[in-house]
Amino acid sequence: MEQPFRSRLFSLVPLPASRAGAASLLRDLPIIVAGLAVFYSLVALTRYWNGPVNTQPEIHLNPSALPGYALHSVERITVAYLLSLAVTLVYAYVAAHNTRAERFMIPLLDTLQSIPVLSFLPSVMFAMVALFPGRQLGVELGSILLIFTGQVWNMAFSVYSSMKGVPVDLMEASRSYGFSWWQKLVQLELPYAAIGLVWNSMMSVAGGWFFLMACEMFVLGNHDLRLPGLGSYLQTAANAGDTGAILWGVTAMVAVIVLMDQLIWRPAIAWSQKFKFEQVEATEIPRSPILDLLRRSRIIGRAERALAMPAREGLMLHFAAAREHSPESAASGGVLKWVGRAVAGVALAGIGYAIWRMALALATLSRSDLLTIVQGAGATFLRVESSLLLAALWTIPVGVLIGTRPRLAAIAQPVAQVTASIPATALFPIVLLLLIRVGGGLGVGSIVLLLLGTQWYLLFNVIAGASALPTDLREVCDVFGLSKPERWRKFILPGIFPYLITGFITASGGAWNASIVAEYFHFRGQTFSTTGLGAVISRATDAGNVSTLLGATAVMAAMVVTLNRLVWRRLYFLASTRFRLEA
Amino acid sequence: MSHLTPLRVFVSQAQWQQAAEMLQRLDPSAAAEAFSSLPFEDQQSLFRKLPVEVAASLAGDLPYYQTYVLLHSRPIPDVIAIVDKMNPDDRVQFFDQLPQETWQRLMDELAEKPEAAPAEAEAEGAIIPPASVEPPLHEEPIIEARHIEKSFEREGSGPIQVIAPTDLSVEPGVILALLGASGSGKSTLLRILAGLTPPSGGEVLWHGRPIAENRPNAAIVFQSFALFPWLTVLENVEAPLQAQAMKSRERHRRALHALASVGLKGFESAYPKELSGGMKQRVGFARALAVEPEVLFMDEPFSALDVLTAESLRGELLELWLGKKIPTRSIFMVTHNIEEAVMLADRIIVLDRNPARIRADFRIPLSHPREHGSAEFLLYVDYIYKLMTQPDRQPGLPSLAAGARTPHPALPHIHLGSTAGLLELLNDRGGKEDLYHIADELQMGVDNLLPIVESATLLSFARVDRGDLELTPGGKAFAEADIETRKRLFREAVLANVPLLRQIHGILAGKSDHTMPIEFFRDLLQEHFSDAEAQQQIETAVSWGRYADLFAYDSESDRLSLRPVTDAAEENESVTQA
Repeated sequence: MEQPFRSRLFSLVPLPASRAGAASLLRDLPIIVAGLAVFYSLVALTRYWNGPVNTQPEIHLNPSALPGYALHSVERITVAYLLSLAVTLVYAYVAAHNTRAERFMIPLLDTLQSIPVLSFLPSVMFAMVALFPGRQLGVELGSILLIFTGQVWNMAFSVYSSMKGVPVDLMEASRSYGFSWWQKLVQLELPYAAIGLVWNSMMSVAGGWFFLMACEMFVLGNHDLRLPGLGSYLQTAANAGDTGAILWGVTAMVAVIVLMDQLIWRPAIAWSQKFKFEQVEATEIPRSPILDLLRRSRIIGRAERALAMPAREGLMLHFAAAREHSPESAASGGVLKWVGRAVAGVALAGIGYAIWRMALALATLSRSDLLTIVQGAGATFLRVESSLLLAALWTIPVGVLIGTRPRLAAIAQPVAQVTASIPATALFPIVLLLLIRVGGGLGVGSIVLLLLGTQWYLLFNVIAGASALPTDLREVCDVFGLSKPERWRKFILPGIFPYLITGFITASGGAWNASIVAEYFHFRGQTFSTTGLGAVISRATDAGNVSTLLGATAVMAAMVVTLNRLVWRRLYFLASTRFRLEA
Repeated sequence: MSHLTPLRVFVSQAQWQQAAEMLQRLDPSAAAEAFSSLPFEDQQSLFRKLPVEVAASLAGDLPYYQTYVLLHSRPIPDVIAIVDKMNPDDRVQFFDQLPQETWQRLMDELAEKPEAAPAEAEAEGAIIPPASVEPPLHEEPIIEARHIEKSFEREGSGPIQVIAPTDLSVEPGVILALLGASGSGKSTLLRILAGLTPPSGGEVLWHGRPIAENRPNAAIVFQSFALFPWLTVLENVEAPLQAQAMKSRERHRRALHALASVGLKGFESAYPKELSGGMKQRVGFARALAVEPEVLFMDEPFSALDVLTAESLRGELLELWLGKKIPTRSIFMVTHNIEEAVMLADRIIVLDRNPARIRADFRIPLSHPREHGSAEFLLYVDYIYKLMTQPDRQPGLPSLAAGARTPHPALPHIHLGSTAGLLELLNDRGGKEDLYHIADELQMGVDNLLPIVESATLLSFARVDRGDLELTPGGKAFAEADIETRKRLFREAVLANVPLLRQIHGILAGKSDHTMPIEFFRDLLQEHFSDAEAQQQIETAVSWGRYADLFAYDSESDRLSLRPVTDAAEENESVTQA
């Protein structure tokens, strides 16, 4: 009993010998410092959130202000991501487990996914500002929710389809051994969904960066709102036409993105390999030094043993015991059923009311407004398709070249990944500068802007497809001496077709969404815009014109959903049946 | 024959007395013929209820293996009494034909002291209570399935039955094997008994109480192992115990014990993907045994493993079971491997398919360890082969047709190349060969061989007679023909014997443009089969139709179109030239 205090604290783990302790302390140092940094920034942010509202803080273009702005942006994206994660899990779980809810939750998801971020802006902002009047928190939450609306849908979709696709035999095993819903969730459904969730999380966060400028600084009717952050920094720099500041901003953003990639996503991907659903071990496993550091850390190991493991065990046993005592109890089931019905009823009533109000708002649209929307839809359609075509024209040859040559891929792939991680919106000002100097208008220029945002989906998919082309078929082409065009027509194009279609689907969705920032741009104190649906939406948001915003958004959602159903889904089916290369 | 039908009617209405009297009236060979024409499970039920004299007279006139198995559906005292009453000449012949070991075994059984049973039984009257399959009175069955059936509802055309009303009980102390061809619904039956799938009719009782009321203490071993790849071996084994809210210390102890018992000590922290197939299934067994199930269900547990691994794993399981090292009271196994069933099981149930129903249910009285090559072992294997290749029972009898519509005859899902191969092999063997030998030589399980045999018989190229496969003249001609002639012979055989293809051909020929969307035929088939089966049927039909050059299928437009017979040959030539 010499050291009662110490032994109580560390009784859960054997005490390390002193030298090993010193070594492990050294190893844990980065983690401790990182923990303190996170703690400090949380304190600072809380102070800021509780401060009085300041809708028009001056955005300093001094590079020394950048770290603070970066912190604010990272905070927004992180909170929005955590919110997305929570909503994703609940939404996907309910949709996957309740057939009746599924029937309207999934089409709803499909529609929401096709609505551009900016269309949510007015309603989200007004609601949040009304909730927290006079607090910075209100505007801040509005911005976060806006980022959230751009992140959540594809994550929810991925988790939902994973949960629906859990292999039958594992499902049967968990049922025959009487797993509680909790055990089923943590030992079967979440692990099975993990890899898809990690990849979609990366995509979602990248989308967050893409729309950051629009989410941090906007005009809402007669309010000009801005929040301190990297997005508003870039926007202000663009407005001022300060090329130096733009470059500083882009550099800071790329630095933050690369840092997050190394500190969060690489470890996450490496960790998620554990959940790969395979029966044999893969030869090449993604690794991450950061993950190794975390795994070897004593502090984390200690915390896991002292906190996480007992909590996990407690939850598991609690739900198991609950299940043992009342296997599908009729009474609680009845109550739950009524609660479910009540929620569904309220939701239906709400949706009905919203549709009614929407119809009223739409009825006020004038003939000329409608004409603008239709014209804009046509123009944006052409723009999106031509940007896809242009992207395909350069990415297919380059992607095949890289994909079929492993040595080239080893060099080109990381470069392409870093380039792709730069949000195209951050580059817009630079591109616009060039365009204006060359003399092209935004009408053509916006195609280039769309291209900047969407070409990467195609490139990476083509590379993946080309590197998966089977060697034996390539040898057959050599043996029969196929000419170059024949080789492309008979072997390469059909071989990469499924990957190409996947790339096109993602790129097409992205391009529609990006049109709202590509067709309408504040630059050097003036507004550049061109005919297009995206421009109509952006302008309506700026002007607070709710009925035009609604009408244009509805048209865009309808077009995206229709295109998906009529074209992409069919092509995808074709790709997954006729053009699949069986292993 | 006039006396065949009445016997069936008696049996189907459970009028055993009348049936027995009828057999007694007939002359012995006619009685044997009538008896043999019954579906096997009816033979068994009837045989169990026959008076000893009638049974003895029948026993003399049936093939030796049938007699042997039928005899063992009755208790030993009865067997002694029946053998005693057999006509001496017949008895000598029966013993002569029996393989050495079987004979020895029967002799041992006959030498047992007859206890009071036969006297009692005879005193009770002519009808002896059924003995074999029903468990002895003091052993209550663990699971009792009463009239369970399974059908899938579909709009427009009424339900499709996959399992006909079935009674089944699992008594303690036995390994029970459920045998059947693939798609016979045996896995579904296992899932119903284990409480994973609810039956559409009837009920399953565990210890006399409905399955919904008390969660059955069962565990399942899966063909695909069904291990969680992200959990370690130890965590996999612990998972079911966690579900029982067992505390971590006890859980650990039980899991380690289970792992040790299947020889996986030291692999606790490995992940399943680091293990070989055999090791994975060991984890599957450990996980099942850790919950100490009363009944251990196994769904084709060895069929994903290579032959040697499966063999050793079977041996180890048997050792655990026979050495009473596990608290499991009964093992219920589904398999399509006849030898595996005979190797392990104390009781075998053979299933018919479309819809599934029990065709035979008998005991294997061999003692463990059983030897693969022993004559007695082969006797059972051979016997089950004969049983499974026996044509399906004819529909139309009152007890059989209860509510079910006559199914559209199903095509076996095989490629016709294998049928041609089988016919050639048969032709090389002089046109006739024992099925078991064919399977043995080709190293094929019954699951793979039977559909090929079925296709050959369906096309009238071969016929099955008491376990032998025999080439018909048409089959001989086919086996000896060249490729072109084969196509023609095949086309003729298909049109003459396969209603589905005849129907498709007829419809296509009747249309002015000679084409039809494949959807149309799929819809037709969906009235008779489940969606998945209808899809498979249509795929097989397309494959056969293409092989016979009857019609072409264009996957782009998803349409079938007629091939003019004359052009087909020419086009074939042009294709060969190209």
